[in-house]
Amino acid sequence: MRHTIITAALLFSLAPPIMADTPTGNPVEGQRLFMTYGCYQCHGTTGAGGVAGPKLAPDPLPLEGIRAKLRTPSGRMPVYTPKVISDAEIADIVAYLHSIPPGLPARDIPLLNH
Amino acid sequence: MQDTDRPKAGHGAAIDRRDFLKAATLAGTGAVVPQAPARQHSTQLASREGEQGTPPPVTATQTTCGSDFMVDVMRHLGIEYVAAIPGNTFKGLHESVINYGMTAAPRLELISCMHEEMSVAIAHGYAKVSGKPMACMMHSTVGLQHASMAFYNAYADRAPVFGIVGAILDAKDRHGYVDWQHAVFDGPALVRDFTKWDDTPLSLPHFAESATRAYKFAMTPPWGPTVLAVDQELQENELNPQIPLVIPKLPQTAPPTGEPGAVREAARLLVAAERPLIIADRAARTPEGLRLLIELAEALQAPVVDAGARMNFPWRHPLNQTQRRTELAAAADVILGLELTDYWGAIGGRLAPGVKRISITSIDLFMKSNYQDFERFTPVDLAIAADAEATLPGLVEEVRRQTSTQRRAFFKTRGARLAQDHLESLAQSRSAAAVGWDSQPITTARLCAELYEQIRNEDWALCNGTVFQSYWPQRLWSADHHYQYIGDAGAYGLGYLPGASVGAALAHRQHGRLPVAIGGDGDLMFSPGALWTAAHHKIPLLYIVHNNRAYHQEIMFVQSMAVKRQRGIDRAHIGNAITEPNVDFAKLAASLGIYSEGPVTDPAQLGAALKRAVARVKHGEPALLDVICQGR
Repeated sequence: MRHTIITAALLFSLAPPIMADTPTGNPVEGQRLFMTYGCYQCHGTTGAGGVAGPKLAPDPLPLEGIRAKLRTPSGRMPVYTPKVISDAEIADIVAYLHSIPPGLPARDIPLLNH
Repeated sequence: MQDTDRPKAGHGAAIDRRDFLKAATLAGTGAVVPQAPARQHSTQLASREGEQGTPPPVTATQTTCGSDFMVDVMRHLGIEYVAAIPGNTFKGLHESVINYGMTAAPRLELISCMHEEMSVAIAHGYAKVSGKPMACMMHSTVGLQHASMAFYNAYADRAPVFGIVGAILDAKDRHGYVDWQHAVFDGPALVRDFTKWDDTPLSLPHFAESATRAYKFAMTPPWGPTVLAVDQELQENELNPQIPLVIPKLPQTAPPTGEPGAVREAARLLVAAERPLIIADRAARTPEGLRLLIELAEALQAPVVDAGARMNFPWRHPLNQTQRRTELAAAADVILGLELTDYWGAIGGRLAPGVKRISITSIDLFMKSNYQDFERFTPVDLAIAADAEATLPGLVEEVRRQTSTQRRAFFKTRGARLAQDHLESLAQSRSAAAVGWDSQPITTARLCAELYEQIRNEDWALCNGTVFQSYWPQRLWSADHHYQYIGDAGAYGLGYLPGASVGAALAHRQHGRLPVAIGGDGDLMFSPGALWTAAHHKIPLLYIVHNNRAYHQEIMFVQSMAVKRQRGIDRAHIGNAITEPNVDFAKLAASLGIYSEGPVTDPAQLGAALKRAVARVKHGEPALLDVICQGR
């Protein structure tokens, strides 16, 4: 058993890294899909989120995390199968979310300090 | 019926309602009802045939009328405004309001409306600020049909409205085919499922009694709308000097309070609780309710979640834990629900084992069957059928009486922790509001922050519910006064806000407050005519269109269907988007006589545009700003 765990760990360490922070999709195409597929309806056009859906950006989940949220969602989020959104399209959307720059912190916005 | 109020038709064979009832009673006892001679029937038929094509008879001048008395009754009840769009079934009352009500003190002013739904919505919003009903006059049948959805909103939102619908009860008074199409025997039946009470008075003394009763029922918690159907003859005929007209005394109504033993038990549970939670929805009917809830929360140092149908608790009070509703409900060992229509929804799904639930609500004393606005049944351990606000003094007193010195020290520690949690929630909200700060379309957080910057030093009052703005006002602003927030429609019936905000602003006007409303583009398209009413009556109101150019929630619903059926998700906007063409709300408002700007698309320009609009409102006029925003 111990041997198996060590082998698995070695294999994992030798495998190419999962695209956690470096999505390979096309951010421009991802933005188009984000709008066309209506992601923005609940999450905002820049992923800011709101009462209908959580914040997606900046600092989005890695590709696998977002794919899992789409394929096996919870709450009122619909299930998005590969027939509806392909893995490649998800990669594009995640690339778009990663391209969204972080804004100013709240403490630097006077209107948010009253 | 006072048959002297309603002159008989003049035909020898006519049987009035009183005689008919006498005859019916006799028939019930087996007596023989005398039949009219056949000769008179044939004469009548010939006479009716001869009427074809003749105009209605010209009435003589008169010096008195029933509808002047109706105005006096409304004045006596303290009603100051009547909202209406004209209808010939209440033309007598209409004339009395403008030529008697508006020309003699105490003044009863007619508010000109563009749609009966707006008339009732205006009364709905007005009631939530002023704490008393406005009257609405509606045309028979079609007028009440137009108004019906607004009545449902008012009913579900526990708002008093004094409705009057015209009627032509007697067939001989229907002068053409339209009169017949607009005649109904039991008009209020249309809204009976969602009004507290209705009546069709048959004489002026009957009207006075029923009006007083309607007002009393509307103002007895749970508050709600009532309707009187008023026959046009009753409005238009001369007064009969033989009949004394008396307006009954309006009683001072004491709201139902909780049974003392039950209140004592509720206090015991709350004082003994380690992690109590108070959730309030329509608990503060009046400013006193807000004050009392502060007393209760501070006596217990317990967290309060404001479910948002009214201004129940100050938004920046350290014990306001609304942002932590889910986690607090899941951890609570005692939950006190105050006037919760939806107890189930308010507490979420996850509860701690053994949690004790207490409910205080007047809804337990009055509920109807057909419309299901009573929401999902939630088991509670102690249900106190009473008005929460009226029960709070006793509950506060019991909590104080039962709190030992040792418990008080524990409460103090709890309160200090909650105060820290409140500050952390505020910081989290501010951080969340900063996300996408410069985005286009403008985020709802940015819109609300920019608006607050312009009004925070004014005596402002928000006239809309905030669910479609992701509750940003509650999360970012500070509000202490009951009038500063009045909740939403009640039944989520669209078209509420334009009318309701104008009604609320009318109530604010006499106090010199700055009313603001943030409403969706779809909602405004239901009832834009309310803006004309604001312009016509010079009612100051800043109306901000949260213009996201779609019914976004519905896009999501349709999209979820498309996903389920695996048919693609790129067409869900069809039927939901409000584009092609985009609505130009600034031009729409301008055409209705209102200062307007927009569409504002650049967040950097928003503050200046708001400042200009606020200046107009402070000058005493309505203003509209169209802002292109994110969905929520």
